[in-house]
Amino acid sequence: MLEAFNFRVILEYMPLYMQCFLATLWLSALSLVGAIVVGIIACSMRLSQSRVLSRIAGIYIESIRSTPLLVQLYFFYFGLPSMGIMLPEWVTGVFALTLNSGAYYAEIIRAGIQAIAYGQIEAGIASGLNYFQRMRYIILPQALGMTIRPMLGQAIVLVKDSSLLSLISIMELTRAGQLLTSDRFMPAEGFLTTAAFYLLIYYLLKTFSSWSEKRLIFREAQ
Amino acid sequence: MKKAAGLSVIASMVCLFVLSGFVSAGTLEEIAKRGELRVACQTQGAPFSFVDKNGERTGSSIELVNLIAEEMGVKVKFLNYDWDGLIPALLSGKADMLAADMTPTLKRAMKISFVDPYMYTGSVVFVKQDSPLKSIEDVKKTGTKLAVLLGSTGENDAKKAFPDAELKTYKGGGPILLNAVIAGHTDAGVNDGSAVRGQSASFPPNSIRVLDGQLSNSPLSFAVRYDSPDLREWLNLFFLHIKLDGRLENNLNYWVNSLDWKKDH
Repeated sequence: MLEAFNFRVILEYMPLYMQCFLATLWLSALSLVGAIVVGIIACSMRLSQSRVLSRIAGIYIESIRSTPLLVQLYFFYFGLPSMGIMLPEWVTGVFALTLNSGAYYAEIIRAGIQAIAYGQIEAGIASGLNYFQRMRYIILPQALGMTIRPMLGQAIVLVKDSSLLSLISIMELTRAGQLLTSDRFMPAEGFLTTAAFYLLIYYLLKTFSSWSEKRLIFREAQ
Repeated sequence: MKKAAGLSVIASMVCLFVLSGFVSAGTLEEIAKRGELRVACQTQGAPFSFVDKNGERTGSSIELVNLIAEEMGVKVKFLNYDWDGLIPALLSGKADMLAADMTPTLKRAMKISFVDPYMYTGSVVFVKQDSPLKSIEDVKKTGTKLAVLLGSTGENDAKKAFPDAELKTYKGGGPILLNAVIAGHTDAGVNDGSAVRGQSASFPPNSIRVLDGQLSNSPLSFAVRYDSPDLREWLNLFFLHIKLDGRLENNLNYWVNSLDWKKDH
């Protein structure tokens, strides 16, 4: 069966794959950091006492979660220029991924925060900590620790979603597979190689998350 | 867990190879038995193959395929693909033939078998109406950004004609190139001339301008797999017949050489 596989062509395209692999890595990493920051901000707004802030965050989270990423991406790429906003491809891509995953992170973190017993918050209030201090010292450290698994899940989704960036002419892993396929008409070689690289990223992420989970639990035990 | 994942990958690969092994000789007979001709085509390739404003699939290639099925006495099943998905669909046996405005390049012919060309066309360069680029010479400057379609003849012609330009490759159909140029993501686009003229007709008037001259002169033809020599021979005979009885000329005059079709579709 493997004789049917043209490894020579895969090797020939390896430099392209490596270049695109690195592109997927840094685009995803940048979007991931952005998405977690956006998620924390949106979640704090969603849970804040202010009706206005909570409403704004609610609209953001709902409108993002109810529309496909591809539509958002095409809107930012083809729609915004007609409104006079012109961004380079990679900025558009990272922006769309950040905004999209940010909404999901907001919900994940909210679930983590709401899982914390209300007594702890009352204790915080009783100790004279303000809203920001309660978030920083009591709630977020626990909520982030508890949500590492769902956050990893969302990070994997984000990496996979980055494949859509190929559609706005960004060179990344999926585009490498498409190029091999359209140059040599070898879809099996092209896309299986692409899939192998995504699998590699998945294992990197998984290793990182179990390492950080252990570290967090260890720190709590101290 | 890891082992199971590896096994399922291998299992699905085995399935792929076994399925591709079932494609046997005698395609014409298979089509007749099935009563259905399966054709890979585009949905965004006006005026060759597209969905018109009434939501109906139509175009020059589609009309030709309908004629083919009529002459064969079978029904047609159209399968939709992006441009770069057409050849893989044919190769994987999902389709019996490929009907698109495709140039039979030597590279493509390494994989698929083309029937005799039925018309000739060439790549053109187009820009936004108010662009400072006036001629193909202007586009040759270093750093000009060009929109091309992944796996198209235009992509190849652009690489050859504009070695110093920066190519941005899009997927989908020709209209996405027009969108990229109009939105200002690229300075110009390169695609097949008849496709550009046909597709720009559905954009607001005067949104783009086609620069004088062609980058290439290339034939267009339908394609089959190399394991379907019977179907290729039949199609060659079909094109000979419609060339002689004028049906091909009627088709091309309506769809490609004029914008007559715009009135009805």
